[in-house]
Amino acid sequence: VKIFVTGAGWVGAAGMGVGRGPAAFSLPPGFLPPISRQDVFPEPDSRFGRLDAFSRLALAGVALALRDAGIETWTQPRAAAIAASTAYGCTGTDLDYLATLGQAPGLASPQLFAYTLPNVFLGEAAIRFGLTGPTLIVSDEEGTGAAALDTALDYIAAGGDVALAGICDLVRPAQLPEHAAPPPGALFFVLERRPTFEPLGELTAPGVRHGEPGDTEGLRALAQRLCTGNRTAPTSTTRKGRS
Amino acid sequence: VNRVWVVGTAAVTALGEDPDALWGGIISGTTGIGTLARFSTQGYKSHVAACVPGLRSPGPGSLVNALLDRLCARLPPLPPDTLLIASTTKGGVDCLERISRGLPAHPDDIPLPALGAALRRRLGLTTPGFTVSAACASGSIALGRGAQLIASGAATSVLVVGFDALSEFIFSGFSALQALSPGPCMPFDRGRSGLTLGEGAAALLLASPERARNEGREPVGEIIGWGAANDAVHITAPARDSRGLIQAIRAALTHAGIEPGDVGGVSAHGTGTIYNDLMELNAFRTVFGERDVPVYGVKGALGHTLGAAGAIETTLALRALAEGFVPGTIGCTDPDPAAAGMVSANSSPLLGPCILLTNSGFGGVNAALLLRGKPS
Repeated sequence: VKIFVTGAGWVGAAGMGVGRGPAAFSLPPGFLPPISRQDVFPEPDSRFGRLDAFSRLALAGVALALRDAGIETWTQPRAAAIAASTAYGCTGTDLDYLATLGQAPGLASPQLFAYTLPNVFLGEAAIRFGLTGPTLIVSDEEGTGAAALDTALDYIAAGGDVALAGICDLVRPAQLPEHAAPPPGALFFVLERRPTFEPLGELTAPGVRHGEPGDTEGLRALAQRLCTGNRTAPTSTTRKGRS
Repeated sequence: VNRVWVVGTAAVTALGEDPDALWGGIISGTTGIGTLARFSTQGYKSHVAACVPGLRSPGPGSLVNALLDRLCARLPPLPPDTLLIASTTKGGVDCLERISRGLPAHPDDIPLPALGAALRRRLGLTTPGFTVSAACASGSIALGRGAQLIASGAATSVLVVGFDALSEFIFSGFSALQALSPGPCMPFDRGRSGLTLGEGAAALLLASPERARNEGREPVGEIIGWGAANDAVHITAPARDSRGLIQAIRAALTHAGIEPGDVGGVSAHGTGTIYNDLMELNAFRTVFGERDVPVYGVKGALGHTLGAAGAIETTLALRALAEGFVPGTIGCTDPDPAAAGMVSANSSPLLGPCILLTNSGFGGVNAALLLRGKPS
């Protein structure tokens, strides 16, 4: 099944970028700057400031990718899937929660606890962008995001129209050992069966035959291949139209 | 498209160390819920849980390792190229808890994919695997993903292992959310007041029929459909109109190519919280109409085992298909009016050849599996 890569967005130590932006993909090692609502959404968003750092980072990546694909805004819910990989997930939020628990059992924060599941940001994205397909964290051992990409491709191959695949990690908490994970940041792709605009590239599904080496492309490698910079945002002249 | 056979199961729960003990406990009405002694519950809303008897961590590693030690002892021999899909909500968070208290702990167990990767190495599997985390639907979503890989031909042998151990981190959080029942939970009962936490692990070996025959493995049942959907309404509360669960069930039915009338019983999530149970009952009424399909839940016996729930409940549902009846719902003695005709404390004969299994969780996730008995 031919599947189109129609959008990409990333947030990292070097800043933010999109597939159709002037700059090539870059997710270098380093520290992540704080992300404010104004960095991501032009209009007020009552939820964004209340999110934990992990959810803010991931939601920013999802928003940029959807915007790059030209499908950020919506009026009707869409059965789009999101599959994302993470190594450390919301460990920082876990530590913040444990700090409240350490004061006294009765003082544990229910607000923080709600964000101590790594998949909760997917719910935030689903609410914000009207995405009602499957949402799951699928973290591969190598931290490449290949399993997330494969999951998203298979969703479309099975009949879905839109899926997102991504990787997201904050800076490794000092309490944790180095694990296979890309440098801190978020990177998300939008995949579509029928692109509205000229796509960034094409993929086929199923993408991986498990047990056979050498055919797994991770998300960073995909970004380096497709997001080379000097692209322009989609306009009516590049619109292909749905068939 | 390949059929997806389940060719082996294993389970460690509060009711015992294998699927026979689990089934025997459930049909005899035994509950594994008791007074929680692993940590002090002073200041919390509940003092009970369903813990695996005698579970101790031998060192600074996560308690999950001890749970998986017991599970691994019950696994059949595995082909080395088997793909491992792990499912968990919080993995080795007990180690993080100990670190935060200045106690010895093994930080290597904390990253999300770490315990699954260690399990793969322990089992001698050569294909790199992955870990699924989708809150309380982790296990059923992992099974759906494994089934999809078999069906598409991308894999021929997949081991899905769901696990979560009970920690104070989790217990305190659900207490803070006011979600714990003071006593053992009462799924679908008029007097229900919250959930009871549990712990456990289960493994299901999936294989294509060709692979199973070549290896001489007998199927115990089939996964014939799967679906998942997000409510896109709230991150902790269920959608009151059940939109996500209905969408997931209908996706599973479409995938399986069957009608609601083919479903003979439902293994529900059945947490015992007021709104989740109502949400599920509304979904089942919407899908099945006036037909009273027998619905049951097992968390009154096992507690809510979080990332293991889908795998444990699938193991039980396959046994129910083999026996031709579904168990009664332990903890439900006075069904909610919305459950009338569907939920009972007593076992009920299956009304059709398939069981629908559902789970829902934080982040708005919903998952549905359709299971059929041993292929003829």
